[in-house]
Amino acid sequence: MAISRRVFVKSGGLALVSFGLDPLFLARAAFAADTPGHPSTRPILVCLFQRGAVDGLNMVVPYGDRLYYKERPRIAVAQRDVVDLDGYFGLHPRLAPLKTLWDNKSLAVIHAAGSPDSTRSHFDAQDYMESGTPGRKATADGWLNRYCQHDREHLSTPFQAVAFGPRLPRILAGSAPSLAIDDLQTFGVRAPGAARDRLTEAFEQLYGGAATGLLATSSHEAFEAVQLLNRANPGQYQPADGATYPRGRLGAAMRQIAQLIKADVGLQVAFADVTGWDTHVNQGASEGQLATRLADLGQALAAFTTDVGERMRDVVVLTMSEFGRTIRENGSLGTDHGHATAMLVLGGPVNGGKVLGRWPGLDPADRFEGRDVAVTTDFRDLFGEILTRHMLATDLSPIFPGFTPDPARFPGAITA
Amino acid sequence: MCLSVLLVPLSHGPIRALPHRPSTAILHPQAFTPRDSALHVLNRLAYGPRPGEPDRVAAMGVMRWIDRQLDPAHVDDAALGAREPQFKVLTYDRHALADVYFGALRERRERNLAEPRAADTMGMRDDPGPNARLGRRLARDVADLVVVRAALSERQLAEVMADFWANHFNVFFGKGADRFLLPEYIERTIRPYALGRFADLLRATAQSPAMLVYLDNWQSVAPSAKAQRAGGRRPRDINENYARELLELHTLGVDGGYTQQDVVNVARIFTGWSIERPRQGGAFKFYDRAHDRGEKIVMGVTYPAGHGMDEGLHLLAWLADNPATARHVSHQLCRRFVNDQPPDGCVDDAVAAWQRTHGDIREVLRAIFHGPDFWAPENVQAKVKSPLEFVVSALRAVQADPDTTPRLAQVVARLGQPLYLHVAPDGYPESQDDWVNSGALLNRMNAGVALAVGKLPGAIVNLDLTIPATSSREQLIAAVDEQILGGAMTENTRRVIREQLRDLDDPVQARALAVGLALGGPEFQRQ
Repeated sequence: MAISRRVFVKSGGLALVSFGLDPLFLARAAFAADTPGHPSTRPILVCLFQRGAVDGLNMVVPYGDRLYYKERPRIAVAQRDVVDLDGYFGLHPRLAPLKTLWDNKSLAVIHAAGSPDSTRSHFDAQDYMESGTPGRKATADGWLNRYCQHDREHLSTPFQAVAFGPRLPRILAGSAPSLAIDDLQTFGVRAPGAARDRLTEAFEQLYGGAATGLLATSSHEAFEAVQLLNRANPGQYQPADGATYPRGRLGAAMRQIAQLIKADVGLQVAFADVTGWDTHVNQGASEGQLATRLADLGQALAAFTTDVGERMRDVVVLTMSEFGRTIRENGSLGTDHGHATAMLVLGGPVNGGKVLGRWPGLDPADRFEGRDVAVTTDFRDLFGEILTRHMLATDLSPIFPGFTPDPARFPGAITA
Repeated sequence: MCLSVLLVPLSHGPIRALPHRPSTAILHPQAFTPRDSALHVLNRLAYGPRPGEPDRVAAMGVMRWIDRQLDPAHVDDAALGAREPQFKVLTYDRHALADVYFGALRERRERNLAEPRAADTMGMRDDPGPNARLGRRLARDVADLVVVRAALSERQLAEVMADFWANHFNVFFGKGADRFLLPEYIERTIRPYALGRFADLLRATAQSPAMLVYLDNWQSVAPSAKAQRAGGRRPRDINENYARELLELHTLGVDGGYTQQDVVNVARIFTGWSIERPRQGGAFKFYDRAHDRGEKIVMGVTYPAGHGMDEGLHLLAWLADNPATARHVSHQLCRRFVNDQPPDGCVDDAVAAWQRTHGDIREVLRAIFHGPDFWAPENVQAKVKSPLEFVVSALRAVQADPDTTPRLAQVVARLGQPLYLHVAPDGYPESQDDWVNSGALLNRMNAGVALAVGKLPGAIVNLDLTIPATSSREQLIAAVDEQILGGAMTENTRRVIREQLRDLDDPVQARALAVGLALGGPEFQRQ
């Protein structure tokens, strides 16, 4: 692909380069014939971390339990407002966009899910859920990266594991190559117009001729990724079927994950996170702080499944949060750090239309430390099931060291 | 040129046929010049050379320069001294910082109660109260200080060691009270002890409020009836967190020969090591009533019953003197200074110096820098810079000045190393396996180009200081090689830059392109 040097000089060259301010124009490949990539049928996992400890009880409401209303006189979601799921549980009204997924059996809820470790520290608990070794802080890598390390079948593509955000999260830290992408539009060497291609080519030659070892392989991957992205992305991306993502970081991340899936660049695991769930004060009920966050979540997930469309048959989206919140509301119209929470799984392979796991109830005798929902599904059993049955992992023990996986404990989230 | 300087890197044997090296090696087989030695030493003991510095260090004598760096108190640091007053945080003690922190918490509580659509508690993002604003400014100062000191200080080795120990004894700036305890931790605990005796540094970290909070020891109490607090909250108990990381990360290392029972007993020894109420500033305080006075056995050593704080001090001294500690820490020092896979000889030399001097860090380092492995060709240019090292070395290479905003620290953060914000106690990693990935390299290329055109946030650049704009392409390339790459430019790089310059007539643009490619290219990523 030869770009005329005169073009480069005319456009003013490097004088306009700026760090992160100019959007990258993603050009069509010079060889215009579309290369219709055969859509991969490889399974894809999208993990979405709700950082801050989401209140599972207001997210998937056990409206059938009188105690829920007794313990939350001011912040319980009224029964008339919930979107009923099964006569006992209901979705928070702002998660209504997910009801169709429940009805067509591609959404399941795992309630009372969480960690065997009792820490109520956000940082420690997030660390444990990302490293996959609750209680152990010195684990260097994340469970999702360990899955990639042991996945013998993976295609060698720079987009195998992608996290959306400025840095690689703990969950993807490790020796398997993974990409942190802040924004698809600005991924690559930054310069306007043809200067970009020239600079990219220059760096490619610099690294191609002189780098060795990890610098060589990573730079090669980098340029491959940039090229793949250029070839696959025709500029302004239009979500399919009128899918409307909410504005903000979460919507942007889900839209870009959908974009990558449909671009057939070999994406296998994707990660995004969203903050704002730490509702100690003024949590709200059907309306309010938490409701606003849930609206964002519901719209983003619904738009994603619409956008990805038929490909959802190969995709599982998994939400997670480091722990839940207290059953009883506190003195500030909010909730404090709890234990178990609710996790969602969405996608074609999901055994949907059910609330999975063993619901322990809200009775004081069944609570964790007398105040929180007890954990009846260890998150490693849920994640392990998804890795085994959906992502076709053959051996879970290196992925969750120190844990003995047992299919008998799988909550049944994936259709066998 | 002093002959003794020439001799030192060669003093471990005659010039022999060097083993095959990849084409990135800067050394010509026939000569390891003083300039090459100087460049190597500036890459490892400092944050990279400034233009002309390899020659100046070579002229002084590389080993003499090393000796001076090992004695930073006698190195004049006027330039940095003139910049430090801009950092307000240096004038705040623990009490003052605590006031700001609790003031911000109070503001947020009041705001949340007043508004139903308040932001979440974890983020503190939308909180514009005056204390919160001040707190955020001070926090940014702390990170920015790292970059400014690293870029401007003449006491380069001291800065490198401050970074090393801040990772070895990692504290996460974002954890609760650490938000106001960390600045003092860096100024009073890490920096003053960085080149002293390891035992002193270890004890200082064990007693630092920042570490006691970070690893939860401040709330570790003996589970005896006397130590239990009544009412409402769940009973407090021993917390093993600090004990485990003390053994695993700070001293003996994961293979140091301790058992889980040892961890428990170490935790028992440290019960009562805590802090005053955070609102009162959180100074170190030993609470006798929380301390487990029973007998403990740790790795075969008996700590008789009836002792208080002194048994913790004894344990720390014992750990500092333990051969496993010497080996574990020496291994990490060799990894930082020599190779991601530290050669055994280097570690042995360091351990020997440790044992000879009872853990004098200065002497351990001296042994490393005098050892053959440090100078071995296969270990030169064998490491990759961390994001901090890359940004600071790039600033130094073009003599850029950090401005008065904290944006450079944000650049380092965007490259993957938000300073003092590593959550896990193992600190930021040392090896290239952790830093080098495709996204990171693209970011560095972009940062290199941005710096070259004066658009890197936080950096004030005037390339005229380093490389005159010239219409001669060969002169330009030679200048970039000499001033920025320390003479390490490969033939491939020379060819690529020459090719790229072919139809660029504007000397200023040509210079920016050549410098940008050099800073973003593979040679500059290595150290």
